[in-house]
Amino acid sequence: MKMVYLLGTTLLVLLMVLSQLEKINKNQKKDKVVLIVFSVFGWLIAILLIFFPDVPGPSELIDVLYKPLGKLLE
Amino acid sequence: MNPDYGQANLRKIFFLFLIVFVTLLTGCWDRKEVNDLALIRGAGIDKKQNGKMELTVLLYIPKGGSSSEQGMEGPGGGGTMQTLIRSAQGNTIAEAMSILQEKLPRKIFWGHCEVFIFNEAIAKEGIAEDVDFFIRMPELRERSQLFISKERARKILSLLPPLERDLAEVVRELGEEKIGMTVTTKDFAEMLVSEAGDTAIPWIKILPPIEGQEEKRTIAYITGTAIFKRDKMVGKIDDSLTRGLLWLRDEVRYSTISVTPKGKKGFVSMKLLRANSKIVPKIRNGKWEVVLKAEADDDIMQNTTDIDVTNPKVVKALEQQLNSQLANRVNETLKEVQKDMKADVFGFADAFHREYPEVWKKEKHRWNEIFPNVKVTIASKIKIQRQGMQSGHPLISSEKGQAE
Amino acid sequence: MLERGKISALQMAFMMNPTILATGLLLVPAITAKTAKQDLWLSPIWASFIGFMIVFVAYRLHKLYPKETMFEYSEQILGKIPGKMVGAIFVFYYFHVTGIIVREYGEFISGTFLHQTPMVVVFSTMIIVSAMAVYGGLEVIGRCSEMIVPVLLVLYLVIFVMLLKDLDTKNFFPMLENGLGPSLKGSVVLQSWFSEFILVSFFFPYLRDHDKGMKWGMISVFSVMFYMVLTNVMALLLFGKLTASLTYPVMVAARYISIAEFLAHLESIVIALWVAGTFIKITVFYYVLVLGIAQWLKLSDFRSIVLPIGFLLVLFGVWSAPNLQVLSHFLSTSAPFYLLSIQAGIPVILLIIAWIKKKRQQMKGKLIG
Repeated sequence: MKMVYLLGTTLLVLLMVLSQLEKINKNQKKDKVVLIVFSVFGWLIAILLIFFPDVPGPSELIDVLYKPLGKLLE
Repeated sequence: MNPDYGQANLRKIFFLFLIVFVTLLTGCWDRKEVNDLALIRGAGIDKKQNGKMELTVLLYIPKGGSSSEQGMEGPGGGGTMQTLIRSAQGNTIAEAMSILQEKLPRKIFWGHCEVFIFNEAIAKEGIAEDVDFFIRMPELRERSQLFISKERARKILSLLPPLERDLAEVVRELGEEKIGMTVTTKDFAEMLVSEAGDTAIPWIKILPPIEGQEEKRTIAYITGTAIFKRDKMVGKIDDSLTRGLLWLRDEVRYSTISVTPKGKKGFVSMKLLRANSKIVPKIRNGKWEVVLKAEADDDIMQNTTDIDVTNPKVVKALEQQLNSQLANRVNETLKEVQKDMKADVFGFADAFHREYPEVWKKEKHRWNEIFPNVKVTIASKIKIQRQGMQSGHPLISSEKGQAE
Repeated sequence: MLERGKISALQMAFMMNPTILATGLLLVPAITAKTAKQDLWLSPIWASFIGFMIVFVAYRLHKLYPKETMFEYSEQILGKIPGKMVGAIFVFYYFHVTGIIVREYGEFISGTFLHQTPMVVVFSTMIIVSAMAVYGGLEVIGRCSEMIVPVLLVLYLVIFVMLLKDLDTKNFFPMLENGLGPSLKGSVVLQSWFSEFILVSFFFPYLRDHDKGMKWGMISVFSVMFYMVLTNVMALLLFGKLTASLTYPVMVAARYISIAEFLAHLESIVIALWVAGTFIKITVFYYVLVLGIAQWLKLSDFRSIVLPIGFLLVLFGVWSAPNLQVLSHFLSTSAPFYLLSIQAGIPVILLIIAWIKKKRQQMKGKLIG
């Protein structure tokens, strides 16, 4: 089942990148790079979440940073 | 701006997502159709010998399709084949519900459940756990009414009322009339988290069927109130004491009172038009007191005596009698509920909390000792507004109306 | 300039209302009731001060740099590298917060209606619609809100009116039982919602009527406060002490409505309101994120990254919390300080530095002159 998700996600990201790449003006190299970087980033997180759903998220990170203040409201 | 970004591109993206979503269409997860649902109209909870509880549900069978006669029911046909009773046992309602689901080809749907009936035995053990389910379950509405009965809830639900569609409808309508108490799930939970935490739920009873009628062709009706200490039932008061309770809770909406004028025979009956009451708490020299301030307007409905109800002096006297009758009612209720059952279903604790927050904080833990000794005084102002359509001389001859 | 569309100040005010209220209305009464008890209706009033302050700060910054948004002028104020860092903080922040909003939306829909539907599907459908609006640009979002929001605001009032007969004013008392403390404490969580008003700083440069920006910004803070007070009053008067123990008091309140027996079961209206409002909310956050990234990285067009970012937002929605309990705990403890420090702290610091810089330049100018 995880493989299906993986395949689906990869397909989705690929479609997304391809459909957008052709629309970017040829001389806008930077735009293309940014598009690809964000898509790959998304793809990596998606894979991470598919295989390790319990991986600590951004909220946990923030929670650690702001814990002393957050205690005030508990 | 790139001229490419226009309609054409939007459409491309749209198609892209269509393609992607085909992979997601493995099923429609929350599909619910009426002919796949078992609509629960009411539920009853009984206690079983083995310590488990029994959940009985009253299902409404939607008669769909064009072939059946919609909305037309044959003479006395109300209830025939329109409803269905099913029961299941379990440790919790949720558990019983899943066992019940095994016996039903359709998916249980709680969204139309209007009525919950608890058996007395289960009420004595506490019903907070069940009410937790009523509030937690997303489908259930917080306006469902709660009732307590001595008879098995299953027996009550399986009655076939002659007038309404099913028993749940009957009891709900009776509750809406507000002759007795009306307690919704929300009201109950609210009472439970209030300062005192004592609760009350209307009591229902099966109306004996008319002679010769089928035993099941009858209804259940509200008579009296079950009094709870927190969520455990501790006693029951009858109809007339319930009236006193309603006065204390400012929930009187409908009432007819008869008084016998001094030195006369017969009655003058009056109908309540509007009423409101308020409890005013006072702490004087460490003594906790409550004043019940009640106001009401009445109309005269019937006069079986020979007094002249158009005479303002007579009306004054009648008002006096009404006031003292109200005081008696309330005092009787207080004697049973406050002194004997020691349950604060009147909201005294909240009233004190509102009026004396500082004192309350200190004395809160002693409330159980304080409450039975709270002195209640009644200051009521009942006015008789009109004498009705019959205004002239009494129809009753003076000989008949004289006291012997 | 990346965005060529222009909106009116009124449209901005309409946009801001659901942007703050959409998630607020459902969660706020329960969260504030836990700390403020029966004084919960006061909390939004205290919290709104931060909203007024932030609109003021945003407007001052806008006056100094009329054609730019936060991502651009932070570089001018702080210099290139620190400015980019501030941009990075905002990018991460908006990813995270939009993820949380998407999650709140998903939790509510899955928790009350679509119990079986996977939450990712609930997220994705919303993100797709929002992506279309973001793709259309600011003008499209502005017009959407102009169309949807007045209906929302009026319908919400109608719900309140229909509940009037079930309300009990006794629940107000004892007022200020423990002084102002509890209601102020309850307002801390609300301040995080009001601090979201910093979003106006991203719209000020694109206003057709610049001079009215401040006025309408303040009006929208006021109307948000009004609706929050109304919501809390409604919850308090209807449920009393029970408010704190309900997950979605407004939702329960709406289905408690029963007028003359036939006007009942109105929770579908709340769902419609909520979904429409959340659509605006998510779209606004999504748009600011996309525009911000484009400005931060100096792209030629923001439209090319709309889809990848939408995809990331779905993931952040999944990733932001393991379940509802953790999410509400986070929202009522650490999150207020997190949101406040970024949405209120950074702009205030920027403004102060910008002022100092300006003063210095004036001094220099004087010295030379």
